[in-house]
Amino acid sequence: MNIQTFIQQLINGFTLGSLYGLVAIGYTMVYGILRLINFAHGDLLMVATYVVIYGMALFSLPWYLSFPLAVMVTGIVGILLDRVAYKPLRDAPRISLLISAIGASFLLENLALVIIGGVPKPFPRPPIFDKVIDIYGVKVQVLTIYTPITTIILLLGLLYIVHNTKVGKAMRAASRDFETTRLMGINLDRVIALTFMIGSSLAAAGGIMWAMKYPQVNPFMGIIPGLKAFIAAVLGGIGSIPGAVIGGFVLGIGEVLIVAVFPGLAQYRDAFAFLVLILLLIFRPTGIMGEAIVDKT
Amino acid sequence: MAQTFFHAQHLTMQFGGLIAVHNFSLKIDPLEIVGLIGPNGAGKTTVFNMITGNLTPTSGKIIWQDRDITALPPYEITRLGIARTFQNIRLFGNLSVLDNVMVSYHHRLESSFWHAILGAKKYRREENRIREESMKLLQMVGLDHLAKEPASSLPYGQQRKLEIARALATNPKLLLLDEPAAGMNPQETLDLARFVRNLRDSLGLTLLIIEHDMKFVMGLCERIVVLVYGHTIAEGKPEDIQHHPEVIKAYLGEKKHARH
Amino acid sequence: MIREQRNLILNTLTIVLLFVILWLFDRYGTDYQIRILNNIAVFITLAVSYNLINGICGVLNLGPNAFITIGAYTSALLTMSPAEKKISFIIEPLIWPLNVIQLPFGASLVVAGIVATVFAFFISYPVFRVRGDYLAIVTLGFGEVVRVLCNALQNITNGPLGLKGLKPYTNLWWSWGIAVLTIIIVQRLIDSSWGRAMKAIREDETAAKAMGIDPFRHLLLAFLISAFFSGVAGGLLAHLITTISPTLFTFFLTFNLLMIIVVGGLGSTTGAVIGATLFAWGNEALRFVESPMQIGPLHIPGIPGMRMVIFSIILMVVIIFARKGIMGQREFSWDWIFSKIRSQRI
Repeated sequence: MNIQTFIQQLINGFTLGSLYGLVAIGYTMVYGILRLINFAHGDLLMVATYVVIYGMALFSLPWYLSFPLAVMVTGIVGILLDRVAYKPLRDAPRISLLISAIGASFLLENLALVIIGGVPKPFPRPPIFDKVIDIYGVKVQVLTIYTPITTIILLLGLLYIVHNTKVGKAMRAASRDFETTRLMGINLDRVIALTFMIGSSLAAAGGIMWAMKYPQVNPFMGIIPGLKAFIAAVLGGIGSIPGAVIGGFVLGIGEVLIVAVFPGLAQYRDAFAFLVLILLLIFRPTGIMGEAIVDKT
Repeated sequence: MAQTFFHAQHLTMQFGGLIAVHNFSLKIDPLEIVGLIGPNGAGKTTVFNMITGNLTPTSGKIIWQDRDITALPPYEITRLGIARTFQNIRLFGNLSVLDNVMVSYHHRLESSFWHAILGAKKYRREENRIREESMKLLQMVGLDHLAKEPASSLPYGQQRKLEIARALATNPKLLLLDEPAAGMNPQETLDLARFVRNLRDSLGLTLLIIEHDMKFVMGLCERIVVLVYGHTIAEGKPEDIQHHPEVIKAYLGEKKHARH
Repeated sequence: MIREQRNLILNTLTIVLLFVILWLFDRYGTDYQIRILNNIAVFITLAVSYNLINGICGVLNLGPNAFITIGAYTSALLTMSPAEKKISFIIEPLIWPLNVIQLPFGASLVVAGIVATVFAFFISYPVFRVRGDYLAIVTLGFGEVVRVLCNALQNITNGPLGLKGLKPYTNLWWSWGIAVLTIIIVQRLIDSSWGRAMKAIREDETAAKAMGIDPFRHLLLAFLISAFFSGVAGGLLAHLITTISPTLFTFFLTFNLLMIIVVGGLGSTTGAVIGATLFAWGNEALRFVESPMQIGPLHIPGIPGMRMVIFSIILMVVIIFARKGIMGQREFSWDWIFSKIRSQRI
C-alpha cells in the first residue's frame, strides 16, 4: 500500500472516527449523570436522517433549513425519550432502566418501520458536498474534511458550555454526585433534559453526516453505529467528553486501517469494535481518560 | 511455639492522595472482646474492610491463624473463619429470614450441584440439616417465628439481629461487628451486650466491635483501640481509655475553660 | 414429608395429563395448532433458562441468541447427511470431520447443548469481570460476534446461504419433553442451596461474598446451564423452521425473550412459562395486525412491524408501571392452590 492510499485511508478513518465521536458524546454525557447506557441513543441518528428526508421531500426545504430542523427535532425527541422512558424510573433498580432503554430503542425502530416502511431510502445529499479536491495527489471528498472539522468545532463549543456556564457547572456537579446535587435545590430535571437535548442534537449532527457518507437510510441503521459509538465512549473513558471524541477517532481509524491493511478481514469489520471492548474490559477498564467501572466493593 | 491467632501488621490504606488508615496494627488473642472506637470518618470501617478482604491494603500484612490472608478475596476469608456484619444492614431483602441464614451454610456444603439437580439423598439430608441448624440460630436471636417472612419486612432492630445470625451461620472463629448497637434503645443495648458476651462464653467466639455507644463499649470490651483520622492514638483497658487525654481531646475538643 | 409426597404425586399427574393432551393434539389437531404448541414449548425452554441468569442471578445477559444460534447450527450440521451437506455447501466445502458425521436427532441436541456450553465457558471470564450495563453490552457484543462469524465462516456454516431443507424432526414429544425436563432441572437448581446463593448474589453481591460465596463460580454455573438449554432449544428451532441462516437469531429474539421474562416476572420460573405461552400465542394472534384485513367495504392494508411496536409498548409499560410482572418472584405451588380451594369452601 503506497503512502497516498495510506493517507487516504487515514483521512477516511478520521472522518468515520469523528462520526463515532459525535454520537459517543451523547452516551458519555447521559452516562455521566444518570449512570445509564441510553440504548435508544443510536436510533436518534436514524430519526434525524428521516426528518431531513421528509423535510426536503414533503416541504421542499433547502438543506440549510432541513439540517438544523432535524437537529432540533431530534433534540426534542431526546428530551421526550428521557421523560417517557427514564424519568419514571429514577429510583428504580438499574436493570429496570436498562430494560426500559431497550424497549424505547425497539419502539423507535419499529415505529419508524411502521410509519415509513422498511425499504431503504436514499439520503438527499446536497450537491455542494459532492466536490472532490486534490491534496498532494490524494483525492478527497470535501465531506471527508468538513466532518472532522465540524466535530471539533462542536466539541469545543460543548466544552465551553460545560466549563464556563452555570448550567455546565450543574451538569458537572450532577455527574459527580447525583444525590447531593438533587438535594441542593438545583432543578435536576432541567439539567437532565438539557443533557439529553445536547447529546441528541450532537447525535443528529452525526447522523446527518453519516447519511451523507453512506446515503442509504433504513429504520435500523442506527444500531451498529450506536453500539460502536458506545464502545468509543468506553474506550475514551466513560464520563469524559473529550475522551468520547478521542475514543471515536481511535476506533474509526483502527477500523478503517485494519480493513485497508488486511482486506480479507472486511467481513469482520463490525466484530473489531467488540473485540476492542472485550480487551478493554479485561485489561484497562478505565479507558483512556475515565473512571473505573470494573466491579469493586 | 504458640499459633498467631490474629495479627494485623502496619496496615495502611491510601486512596489516591488520601490516607484513610495509617500504620494500623492490632494483635488479638482468642476469646478476647476488643472494641474499635473513634469519631466518624476515622477509618474504622476501612480497617474492617481490609481485614475481610473487601479492600486490599496499600501496605501491611494480616496474619490469621498463622496464615497471611492479606490479599485474599472476601469469600475466602469468610471460609477461613472470619465473619462480619455491615454498618448499613445488607440483608438479602427479597429472601426469607430463614433463607438469609441458610445462605451462610452454602460454602460448607459437601454435595455438588449435581446431587441437588438429581435429588440425591445425600443432598436432601444436608439441606434438612442446614434448615434445622438455621432454625436453631434463629431461635437463639428470637426470630424463628418470622422464618418465612421476607427479610426486608422486618423492623430495624430485628434486621440487626438477623445480620448477626447469618454471620454466625458462617461458623466463624473471629466475628467483626460493625456498629451492632446503632439505633437501639438502652434496654436493647443491654440485651445485645449480654448476647455478645454469651457468644464468647458459650460459643468460644472472639470479637472485634466498632461502636459509638460508649456505655456499650466500655461495659463489654476488655480492650479498646482508639482511631482518629486513620491513626491509632490509644490502646488499652476501658478505664485507661476513658481518662486518656488524647482520647478526650479527640471526642470533646480541648477543654479551654472548666465547667462552672 | 406428607406434603412432599403429595406434591410429587400431583406433579407427576400433571405431567401425565399434559402428555395426554399433547397426544390428543398430535392425533387430531391441525398443523396450525401443532405449530403453536411447538413454539410454546420451545419458548418455555428458552425463557426458563434465560430467567435463570437474568431473573435469579440478576445479571442482564443480552446475548442469549448467541447460544441459540450455536445450538441451531451444531444440531443442523449433525443431522444433515453427508450428501445433503455436499449439495448445500456450494461456495466452500464443509470442513472435516463435519462433512462426514451424521448423528440422530436426539444426539445432535445433546451435542448442540454441549457446544453452546463450551462457548459460554470461554467467554465467561471477560463477561463476569464487569457487572450491570457493561455486562449487558459485552454479552450483546458476543451475540453480534457470533452472527458475524456465522456469516463469515463459510466452510463451517455455509455463510449467508444458511442451511436449508432440514428434516422437521421437532414434534410435540421432543419440544414438550425438553421443556418439562428444563423446568424440572432448572427449578431443582433454583430451590437448592445454589439457587439461594445465586439469589443472594442478586440481592447484594458484597454481602454474599461476606457469607462465603464466590460470585464468579455461581454466575458461571447459571451461565453454563442457561447456555446448555438455549443450545438445545436452538437445535429444536432449527428442525422446526427447517431453514437457518445467520440473520435468523438476532437481537430481535433476545428482545422477545426479555419481554417474556419481564412480563412473566423477573425471577419466577412460573412467570417465564406463563410469559412464553402468552408470547407464542400472542405472536400468532397478533399476526392479523400485520396482514391486510377486509372489514366490510373497508380494505385495511397490513402494517408490518406493528406487532413489534405493540410488544415494545407492552415491555415499557410493564417495566415502568408494573415492574414485578405477573408473578413477581413468586412461584406456583400446590399449597397456594389448596389454600385457595379451602378459602372458597368457607
